[in-house]
Amino acid sequence: MRPLLYCMGAILMLWIDPNTLQAQQTTGTIRGRITDNATQQGLQGVTVAAGGRSVLSQPDGRYVITGVPAGAQTVRARVIGYTQTTSDVTVTAGQEVVADLALTGQAVTLSEVVVTGYGEQRAGNITGAVSSVADSQFNPGRVISPQMLIQNKVPGVQVVDNNDPGGGLSIRIRGATSATASNEPLYVVDGVPLGTGAGGGLSAGRDPLNYLNPADIQNITVLRDASAAAIYGSNAANGVVIITTKSGKGHSGAHVEFNTNASASTVTRLPDMLNAAQFADAVATYAPSRVDSLLGQNTNWFDQIDRTGYGQQYDVSLTNGTGDMGYRLSLGYQKQNGIIRASSVDRLSLGINYEQSLFNDRFHISTNVRGARSVDSFTPGDVLGNAAAMAPTQPVLNPSSPTGYWDWNTTNASPSNPVASLALASDQGTTWRSVGNIQAGYRPTFVEGLSANLNLGYDLTKADRQTFYPNNLAAQIRQGQGSLYLANNSQGTSTLETYLNYAPQVAYGPGMLDLTGGYSYQQSHAEYPELRERGLQSNLLGDNGIPPATNITNNKSITDFKLISFFGRLNYNINDRYIAGFSVRRDGSSRFGPTHQWGTFPAASLAWRISQEPFMQGVGGLSDLKLRGSWAQTGNQAFGDYLYYPTYTYSDVLTKVQIGNQFITTIRPSAVDEGIHWEKTAAYDAGLDYGFNNQRLSGSIDWYQKNTSDLLFNVPVPAGTNLGNFVTTNIGKMKNTGLEFALSYRIFEPRPGHLNWDASFTASHNTNELVAINPSKSVARILTGNISGGVGNLVQVLQPGVPINSFFVYQQRYDAQGKPVYDPTTPTNMYVDQNGDGLINDGDRRPFHDPSPKWIIGHTSYLSYGKFDGGFTLRAYMGNWVYNNVASANGAYQNLTGSGMPSNLHASVLTTGFVVPQYYSDYYVEDGSFLRMDNITLGYSFNLKNQPFRLYGTVQNAFTITGYSGVDPTAGLNGLDNNIYPRSRTISTGLSARF
Amino acid sequence: MNRTISILSLTALLSVAAVACTDPTVAPKSSVTSANIFNDPNSYLAFLAKIYGGLIVTGQRGPDGNPDIQGIDEGFGEYLRLYWYLQEMPTDEAVIGWNDPGLPTLNTGTWDASNSMVNAMYYRVFYQIMLVNEFLRQSTDAKLAERGQSDPALIANVHQYRAEARFLRALSYWHGIDLFANIPLVTENDALGSTPPQQAQRADIYAYAVSELNAIIPDLPTGGPADAATYARATKTAAHMLLAKLYLNAGVYTGTPNYTGAVTEAQAVISAGYTLETNFRHNFSSDNNTSHELILVSAQDGGNTQTWGGMTFLIHAGCGGSMSAGTYGIDYCWGGYRMKQQLYSLFGSGDGRASFFWTSGQQVNVDTIGQYSNGIAAPKFTNKTSAGGNGQQTTMVDTDFPIFRLADAYLIYVEANIRGGGGSAANALTYLNQIRERAYGNTSADFLALPAVDTILAERGRELMFEASRRTDLVRFGVFSSAAYLWAWKGGVVGGQALPTGRDLYPLPGNELIANPNLKQNTGY
Repeated sequence: MRPLLYCMGAILMLWIDPNTLQAQQTTGTIRGRITDNATQQGLQGVTVAAGGRSVLSQPDGRYVITGVPAGAQTVRARVIGYTQTTSDVTVTAGQEVVADLALTGQAVTLSEVVVTGYGEQRAGNITGAVSSVADSQFNPGRVISPQMLIQNKVPGVQVVDNNDPGGGLSIRIRGATSATASNEPLYVVDGVPLGTGAGGGLSAGRDPLNYLNPADIQNITVLRDASAAAIYGSNAANGVVIITTKSGKGHSGAHVEFNTNASASTVTRLPDMLNAAQFADAVATYAPSRVDSLLGQNTNWFDQIDRTGYGQQYDVSLTNGTGDMGYRLSLGYQKQNGIIRASSVDRLSLGINYEQSLFNDRFHISTNVRGARSVDSFTPGDVLGNAAAMAPTQPVLNPSSPTGYWDWNTTNASPSNPVASLALASDQGTTWRSVGNIQAGYRPTFVEGLSANLNLGYDLTKADRQTFYPNNLAAQIRQGQGSLYLANNSQGTSTLETYLNYAPQVAYGPGMLDLTGGYSYQQSHAEYPELRERGLQSNLLGDNGIPPATNITNNKSITDFKLISFFGRLNYNINDRYIAGFSVRRDGSSRFGPTHQWGTFPAASLAWRISQEPFMQGVGGLSDLKLRGSWAQTGNQAFGDYLYYPTYTYSDVLTKVQIGNQFITTIRPSAVDEGIHWEKTAAYDAGLDYGFNNQRLSGSIDWYQKNTSDLLFNVPVPAGTNLGNFVTTNIGKMKNTGLEFALSYRIFEPRPGHLNWDASFTASHNTNELVAINPSKSVARILTGNISGGVGNLVQVLQPGVPINSFFVYQQRYDAQGKPVYDPTTPTNMYVDQNGDGLINDGDRRPFHDPSPKWIIGHTSYLSYGKFDGGFTLRAYMGNWVYNNVASANGAYQNLTGSGMPSNLHASVLTTGFVVPQYYSDYYVEDGSFLRMDNITLGYSFNLKNQPFRLYGTVQNAFTITGYSGVDPTAGLNGLDNNIYPRSRTISTGLSARF
Repeated sequence: MNRTISILSLTALLSVAAVACTDPTVAPKSSVTSANIFNDPNSYLAFLAKIYGGLIVTGQRGPDGNPDIQGIDEGFGEYLRLYWYLQEMPTDEAVIGWNDPGLPTLNTGTWDASNSMVNAMYYRVFYQIMLVNEFLRQSTDAKLAERGQSDPALIANVHQYRAEARFLRALSYWHGIDLFANIPLVTENDALGSTPPQQAQRADIYAYAVSELNAIIPDLPTGGPADAATYARATKTAAHMLLAKLYLNAGVYTGTPNYTGAVTEAQAVISAGYTLETNFRHNFSSDNNTSHELILVSAQDGGNTQTWGGMTFLIHAGCGGSMSAGTYGIDYCWGGYRMKQQLYSLFGSGDGRASFFWTSGQQVNVDTIGQYSNGIAAPKFTNKTSAGGNGQQTTMVDTDFPIFRLADAYLIYVEANIRGGGGSAANALTYLNQIRERAYGNTSADFLALPAVDTILAERGRELMFEASRRTDLVRFGVFSSAAYLWAWKGGVVGGQALPTGRDLYPLPGNELIANPNLKQNTGY
């Protein structure tokens, strides 16, 4: 903390300037106020020009132009999104003349102010690819994590599904840029960057961002292209998601909002396993010696573990705003049960926002404090895997066993009863997280257009996790004899961000200047103490205590992290027609050795608003046409701490080594590259924004390419050069190329008594290619993608020339009937011998498709008629491939005859006839393209005692159309459908009210 | 005046801030660093123990969770397990039906340069070598003096540790040239870095290993049967044994046999006081640390030294079918390896070394690799004591793996003598018959005269079955890849066929050839 205080003090002193500059008096002054004709509210940032001088209007719309030559003058007020307005005045020397102007909105969306990182810009003037989604456009229904709000809303953004309630959601903006470092975007909440990884912080539960109640969010802005994100330097390679929470500002008078909803979720698809009769037949044929062990029941194990998951949510907020002050208090509670028993999330959240303006609006202070407690319950152990593998002929209960549950004999490696695990084991996490900041802005009187900003933030997390497996569970009797895991992790991050902004109200040269320069300091300290026990001597304490155990391991690690940055930005705007932006950021990260800490990340972007050109006026109803181009370099350091630092690791008590008659705790040197440095992504973007008919029809087209170099890769190093066979070093190159389309159309404009219909479409295409993973660029590959089934089977590959995580499989041969050939004695009949050596071995596997979608298409419609409103969201993926691991691991008759008792089989075995599992057959790699109705909503608004109410109902995942045979074609990030949490259909109804 | 003070204080604050606010460096707190680890005098033995441990455990967390090498499942990537796979699976001895990556083609001799088991063995060999080199760099007299470590006892101990480390390096270089032939020769004089090392000739590495062993023998402890202080450590006898192994195979490694050397070194081992255990199976039981026959072991311990490889693998995987896991002191059977019929047929009736074979539910011929019932099971290793007692626990085993044992030294002496290496033919016959008499419990199977050398190959098969020696022996006898001796699934066909040219050697890893452009792949890959 001490360095942070020093840094703060130094910066505060720099701000204080004892001299106040005096403005020069001239002969004539024009003063006035610019308002929106429709709302009569003041308009900020309007360029007001007269007599060869121009200024920008203040937040309240007021402006002053001094030094105007005496005589007749025309005052011109111009801002993007409004028609230009003029007013003629006569200026008298030494006098003031008042000219108030009201502007008429033309394409108001262009004038909306978008938070772009260390400042704001009008939507129409943005030079990069930026998408902003307001709360009115958020996805409705059962929403636990903030990322779900913008699914399908922004082109180029893939929100990766996680069906677990509150499960960690990943976001990919324009594809993955790294294979080793995080690919998650940077989240900035109310100006505070949340650190690297998915929302920074820690979680004992699922998504660390769950601390943020979606009901408190005002707006989510996504900086998609690197030039927009580059002001955030490090970690901006994956894009930036800026979240602004709701505040009391701009409201007048106190009001209370209340919102509640209740939901019910049901399972949609489950793995296609054999039923009891089919299973008994298979055993009779392939494992006749085991027929006697079948008990003739008819148990559907999935029925035993799933349920209808009910959820409820209550949000109440008090908002008040009076002139210079505004505040908002909010309280939220959400409880959601998962569709698999024992999984749930329970969140209580509290938020306080306070804003105050002082000294004629010259000083502005705002503070946000938010805290949440999330209690996550997880389905313990491998419940889903056991539900798939447990024989359907066996009963659930066995009154004569100690646990009361039926299980196979524990002397062999058989599946175990998932219902027993659900009943006896537990896996819980509790996360406390609070994030807050104080933000102060000051516009000194001595330099007009200068503002100084200071943002102090903190982020504290305490994450407890308890996992308990009693020693009488069948799986524990086989191995482990009961286990307990306790972790009490904590992390504290403090952030100081400060910047000066200089946007003089007068023109410099032909255009308006906007300069920003700042400094940022972030430090983080985390502690990870944990206790592991195996061989529990007692089950009575559950996870509440620490029972005696035969094997106890304690561990604690501490990590510290620092990120220090200097940044600057220059925007130049000529008549809202030619706009340029330049930025540079210099980041120093503790994750690199002393000589490689600093990286510099420049960006440049240009925009030409063709629609502002005189020759384009009135052409075809065009309201906006803007050509954009940008180049930027961003960095990535979102990986582990101390990777460059040579360390020694002690062995634990279970890896001591016998030397003579004593057991010695060993030390192991680490294999490091002390010279690792920043991953850099150079990105190009070319875009076109268009709008017709006062933006009734609007949209954008973007092309981009992102070239990541010095990719940090954990790669095999030449044997004999380092203290390990893999070292993390900067060696790779990756390329993402894509196209994005967005289109919004107000098909029926709002008119009382008529149907209103807004529709928007987004489509994005991304191609990923791993260009190199070693300097010589020759073909080498690193296997990845660990599957279940066997041990250590890897079905994916990192290989130059193909997308990352491409599947790496044999080419299956099919017979005349289209059935896969099974002929283990002559493998070349089963698989194509790619290298023609007459053998089928690792050399015959080849890259085959990859999990990331090639096209992501989204459609949202919003309709209203009278008191009714409704909407729906459709989503389609094309070209995402999925490895059906449930089928490959369970779809072989050998599972009936292995060393354990017979496991249930996947129904694919009836087609394939595989006896020995064929994990590497491309038969299991399936096209996961789908069309899904993500949600449909119907709402009804009415007044009761003069208070507005809205009742609504939503169906999420109404239907999915796909050719994929497994549980869910959106099988996580890596395309491995391996007993993943099944997808639910959720029906929710809610009521919102405002008093 | 006030202005001066404020300027001064501002300057002071800024200069403090300029350092504090612009330096992102943080040092690790909860891990020890190369800068301070060797200030602790215990670190030298701890490092040496890591090198010994590299043969048996897979990382710093037991049984898994913090691996030494990457790119392979941690349990598969255990040194002994890999070495065992490579030495046993493609031979007439063992077959495993698992589909673990790389295993199926090891069964049939059809592996390629991307076989993950073969690759991992290469990296395990070099992992050991690099650990030794680093240890030798960190433990010189100069380094000790630099750190102010002047305790004469510590200095003397470190001298012995250095000799032990060099023994372990020679052991891994032997494995390296035996399996891969021409590999880089990297010593403590080659600094860590990114420059790929040059490829050395097999014969040069052979010569290096021989000279290293001869150089360190004076510094190694003497040791003796079941000696507490030197158990599981390199002794003078272990060094002689390794020399005997190198000399016995010198013809393969250099083109020039050295059977005389083999006889001499085997004799040095035989004279060191070790004796054959009356109970053959004592050598493979959980109390084999009390066996007087074992010269060097890789020590495992259910309570302290846990791994999914090593003996945990050998005992669990040797159990399957209708066997009861409890008989072998383990929690359950993995149903892994069985004998190919060619190995089974080597055992005559009355041979006690076949007494533990499990035939119930098993057929002799391996018609289908994937069926555990195909092939007679031979659970040679057990987690029970020789008296039938239990080990500490049933998942992780207490049994140590015999790297070198006296019976092997006897057989080396016999073979080298028959091949013209000198020594005493009478002694050779005695040694051979001692092994026979222990197996049969009487003299009924004794040889009356030294047999032809091919008989020794069969005797080695019976005596050293599943002790990770077979591939080397078959190569030395010239029958590993040729059509002269066929066994089930050799070459990928059930009846067996000759392996393609070059299969006497494993390929260098495909990735390694790209990472190190100095390397030339072995012929046939």
